[in-house]
Amino acid sequence: MTRRLSTRTRLLALAPPLALVLASCAPGGTDSSGDPVEDDDGGTAGEATASVQELTREDVEGGSLNYLYFTDGPDQASTEELISAFEEEYGVTVNLEIVPFSDLETTLQTRLSGGQAPDVARITATAPFEGDLLDLTPYVGADYPETFIEGLRAPMQQGDQLVAVPSDLTMNGPFVNVEQFQEAGVDLPDPEDPWTWEEMMEAAASVQEAVGTEFAFALDKSGHRLSTVLSQNGTYLVDAETGVLDPDLATEALQALTSMIEDGSSPRDFWLDSGTRYAGANEVFLAQQVPVYLSGNWQVAQFEANAPFEWAAAPNPCMTECGGFPGGKFMAGFADTDEPELTALFLWWMNDTEQQRQFVDASNFLPTRADLVEDGVEYASRSEDMNVFLEDIPRTPEAAYASAYSPEFGAAATEFVEFYAQVVAGQLELPEAMEDLSSTLGD
Amino acid sequence: MTSRPPATPDAPAAAAGPAPTRRRPRYRPGGTVLTPYLFLLPNMLIFGLFTIWPAINGFNISLYASTTGRSFEWAGLDNYRAIGADDRFWSALTNTLVYVAGFVALSVVCAVLLAVALNAQLRGRSFFRAVFFLPVLLSPVVVGLMWRWMLERRGGLVNAGLQAIGGPEMPWLVDGRLAMLSIIAVGLWTNVGFYTMIALAGLQSIDGSLYEAASVDGASRSQQFWGITLPLLMPTVMVVLILATINGFQAFDYIYNLTGGGPVGGTTLMVQFIYDNAFGPRREYGMAAAASVVLFLVVLSFTLVNWFIGRRREAT
Repeated sequence: MTRRLSTRTRLLALAPPLALVLASCAPGGTDSSGDPVEDDDGGTAGEATASVQELTREDVEGGSLNYLYFTDGPDQASTEELISAFEEEYGVTVNLEIVPFSDLETTLQTRLSGGQAPDVARITATAPFEGDLLDLTPYVGADYPETFIEGLRAPMQQGDQLVAVPSDLTMNGPFVNVEQFQEAGVDLPDPEDPWTWEEMMEAAASVQEAVGTEFAFALDKSGHRLSTVLSQNGTYLVDAETGVLDPDLATEALQALTSMIEDGSSPRDFWLDSGTRYAGANEVFLAQQVPVYLSGNWQVAQFEANAPFEWAAAPNPCMTECGGFPGGKFMAGFADTDEPELTALFLWWMNDTEQQRQFVDASNFLPTRADLVEDGVEYASRSEDMNVFLEDIPRTPEAAYASAYSPEFGAAATEFVEFYAQVVAGQLELPEAMEDLSSTLGD
Repeated sequence: MTSRPPATPDAPAAAAGPAPTRRRPRYRPGGTVLTPYLFLLPNMLIFGLFTIWPAINGFNISLYASTTGRSFEWAGLDNYRAIGADDRFWSALTNTLVYVAGFVALSVVCAVLLAVALNAQLRGRSFFRAVFFLPVLLSPVVVGLMWRWMLERRGGLVNAGLQAIGGPEMPWLVDGRLAMLSIIAVGLWTNVGFYTMIALAGLQSIDGSLYEAASVDGASRSQQFWGITLPLLMPTVMVVLILATINGFQAFDYIYNLTGGGPVGGTTLMVQFIYDNAFGPRREYGMAAAASVVLFLVVLSFTLVNWFIGRRREAT
């Protein structure tokens, strides 16, 4: 006899698998408390205490690491060379996995969720991986951060843990078209004695008038680049934790740029037609349509390759403060690694003096190590220009580092661009926009 | 002994009379009921895994707060309240409705007109059909970049052409209204070929004898269009309408490459709002998921309205 199941009986029969499905789709499930992660042996990764300086080939031979990497271009070849040297010296294998920068964080988060984290990654901020990173203190010592320039020491740490090593530094700063300055009979700025904003604007306007360029001054559409201007007037979007923008100082800082955009001597369209996306004004500079362009040292390699004219890096202009605005990358290990000693050794070795000197030289990056910043680096190409950026490092206020490496900076910079674009579009006055921005960042 | 219930509605008739030439199906009890479902099972599993499951999970995530995508805190309806209080959400929703209205209306009208034109006995008809379909094959990234270069204020091909005939230099991507017109026009250019092909298929299913009869009765071309073509094409038009509506609400990729949502959010549509919240520096996955749920409900309601209107029209 066939017995038909009632609807209620069917629903009851379906309930356990349905509950399982719903329970398993509850997000989370990973420990984000920051507690030490147990390794396969049931111990914590931080229990091993061999100092990396004492490790020999015999200690690590046969080990292997996965290094998740994004490239800015010229750094890839020097990274591969350094990895080969490391593999040869210690008899280990390092698998370099290269992903696009735009996918980096999503890729890492996804792999962490799936328990497939790499051993090492090149990252721009440590905050998104809080609780996931390997504490390097037992391997390199608590004093290790002092190896690096002062502004980078705080972002190397999370609580009392040392979780990242700064591998290269970038510094915002202007470039000038030397040929146009010479044609206009305008003096080039002295790297030893930075010009003021007024002097820079006057020089740019004089060159524009004499040479007939379309614009006098250009700056990338970027909250990071705009922060240079804020920093030079002593205010910032955020400090290490929260919004700190002074709207009056911000208005004063941005007045000159805003006036130039309004009168057409600085490009306006690319503030509007690129929406929420970043836009660089490097094409305008390369087309010789602007004599002064504020960007950063990462442009050196591409200008060297592509600029059909004589150009030079110039010191950042001063308002109440001088110097640029920092950025850069870190190398970090993940706590889930099966090779914590080798991971720490790799991070330490890659950022030792000689290796970092080789890396920044080949890539036209700035060093993060205090010894290299103090001694200077003799770059194989455009050394004079790179040292202009290098000289701006000690002029840059400490607060600029705190702001740039704040976990809140990325979102704050996006808000900044959105509010400033409204000023450029004529929808808001500059003081009103800065007030609104300050309120938003303070929320 | 209890007789087994008939397995199919046809079974009683078959069992009542002798059927010496038909072999009895060798199914196990209940097999005739389960068999169709077994055939559907693989597709249902794939559909469930890649469509239903992510949709349920997306709704679930909308009830949590997360900035990493891994650690989540229960937020209840906070994400929905947050997007409700966010001007950018309302701006994106308004932009989306404006875009969908313009895109759908133009898509339907242009698709029908082009289909009628391409259905006529033209010289080079196949060539023109291919030309109109070609943009459908292009990557949205290519479409966005290509039109960006064409629409730039200075040096763009469109303005160069305008100026060559004495026209003004137009800020296509810099002025809010013109930027909205630009993305509608580019969306139309990209998709109209696909809708035209659907409309063309609909046109070709209309019986030619109707036109012959109408011609014999002295109906003009225009009368034939309004009296025969359009009424008989309405089911196809409804399909185009629904597809264009869904496509319009989901528009993102080429717009992101064309305007980036600018100027000042003037062309930021819902999908970009979701993208910016989830994958931009804000990393508000819960808010992005909440906005996705809202978008889903909006698309669903528009689709259902279209569908019901279509069914009522068919019924009458």
